[in-house]
Amino acid sequence: MSVVEITDLSFSYEKQTVLENIDLKVEEKDFLAIIGPNGGGKSTLLKLILGIYTPKKGNITVLGKMPKHSLTQIGYVPQNTNVNTDFPIKVIEVVMMGHVEGKRPLFGYGKHEELCALGALEKVGMDDYAQTKIGSLSGGQRQRVMIARALCTHPQILILDEPTSSIDITGQKEIYELLKTLNEHITIIVVSHDISVILEYANKATHINKTLSYHDISDKKQTFHTHGKDEHFCEIELLQMLGAENCDTCEEEIPTWRQKP
Amino acid sequence: MMEALQFEFMQHAILAGILVSFAAGIIGSLIVVNRMVFLAGGIAHTSYGGIGLAVYFGLPIFLGASIFAVGAALLIAALTLKKRHRMDTFIGLIWAVGMAIGVIFVDLTPGYNVDLMSYLFGSILAVSSEDLYFMAGLLALILFIVTFWYRDILAISYDSEYAALRDVNVKFFYTLILVLSALTVVVAIKVVGLILVIAMLTIPVYIAEKLSNSLFSMMFISGSIATLFTLLGLWTSYTYNLTSGASIIIVSAVSLGIFLLFNKKVIL
Repeated sequence: MSVVEITDLSFSYEKQTVLENIDLKVEEKDFLAIIGPNGGGKSTLLKLILGIYTPKKGNITVLGKMPKHSLTQIGYVPQNTNVNTDFPIKVIEVVMMGHVEGKRPLFGYGKHEELCALGALEKVGMDDYAQTKIGSLSGGQRQRVMIARALCTHPQILILDEPTSSIDITGQKEIYELLKTLNEHITIIVVSHDISVILEYANKATHINKTLSYHDISDKKQTFHTHGKDEHFCEIELLQMLGAENCDTCEEEIPTWRQKP
Repeated sequence: MMEALQFEFMQHAILAGILVSFAAGIIGSLIVVNRMVFLAGGIAHTSYGGIGLAVYFGLPIFLGASIFAVGAALLIAALTLKKRHRMDTFIGLIWAVGMAIGVIFVDLTPGYNVDLMSYLFGSILAVSSEDLYFMAGLLALILFIVTFWYRDILAISYDSEYAALRDVNVKFFYTLILVLSALTVVVAIKVVGLILVIAMLTIPVYIAEKLSNSLFSMMFISGSIATLFTLLGLWTSYTYNLTSGASIIIVSAVSLGIFLLFNKKVIL
């Protein structure tokens, strides 16, 4: 059974069609990268998978159920976690928000919820900061906390919306290394602008601009094919044009390339 | 000052100051972190409509103002939940219409000239025993709701989109915060008046925000700071024979200025 299965999906905001005839299958322990231009529908697709929006046409199942019924199985890290940094809140409290309603004590948080949150913080290497105010963390640290919040329910799928857009380069690398480790047990879907990520960490990539095209890049050599005619201009091909054909064999070269302004 | 304490009106004023300050500290924290300051201002002014209606129909002022303010809060909640980007327009509209209703009904009341100034700038020296019960009841209600639903209120205040994904009823708690704000505004009108109420809901909170690392401590610190300001303002007002509501606000504002001066690092 596929973890996420989307068939013939279309979605529009009022009259503007954002997504058209999307078909996508995500298998267990995939690391799927979603790329595409701004306004191309990437975030909308995530929100459909999360059940925030319902499709106008077509079908989505997550772990064989409607997205809304799989809430506890999906961990979500939203875009732009730098908002509201003045908010007086401790790291541990942010992580505990990840728990879904259900068994809860009459007041506040239960002991098991706190332990679970600490466990999640440990997984992302932030357990020393549990009592720190969230506003005093760096962008990269805050992003780790948000990942911990998403891990709180022990999800089978982790969905991230541009997790590194506001983080410095070393921080970005650390986040992706973390995702790689998590990927040993969890399916990961990530929206990203960062091309090198796709080559280094993802095993599948889709390009979304209203419609979807799909690449299996688990065997990276095969990815570098020439695309037909008037189809989309995909970042993977862009990289190819930049002369990075060998990037699956030369691991050292990618970080150097990435640091160029 | 000490001899003033034997007067019942002064004892009432101090009690009312403490009760209302704590309510304002707690609710003010929620208003500030949820970026609802303008909303609270709108509700404060709208509640003047309730005062006018209460005067006209001969109802207790608190009751009339509360019902009207809660109605306004529900209306604002419904409108802003639907069209968030038009929020400022709706608030401006409800603000003005509420006040207009109040003025008209006071006009229509035969042979009775209500002291408008006491509602605009507060009348903490005229707090009755019934007022005190109302204030104490409200503070108890606020304390109960905030403790019982702390995690939900925290979740929607910090990140409402994520809270929705975690099955928290965002609309319900958003409305609840607005309704509690409306009730708090009504009791604060007695202390500082409806024009100055916004300062009471924001100045102590702004200071507390810098000093706290959780929403709970922010509420507690704001409540304590607000109490301090209210009592200092009351003392200033009594000593120099000044309007009490305005004195409380000026004391708060000057204290905020001093705090910012000594806390440059925290702010920048």
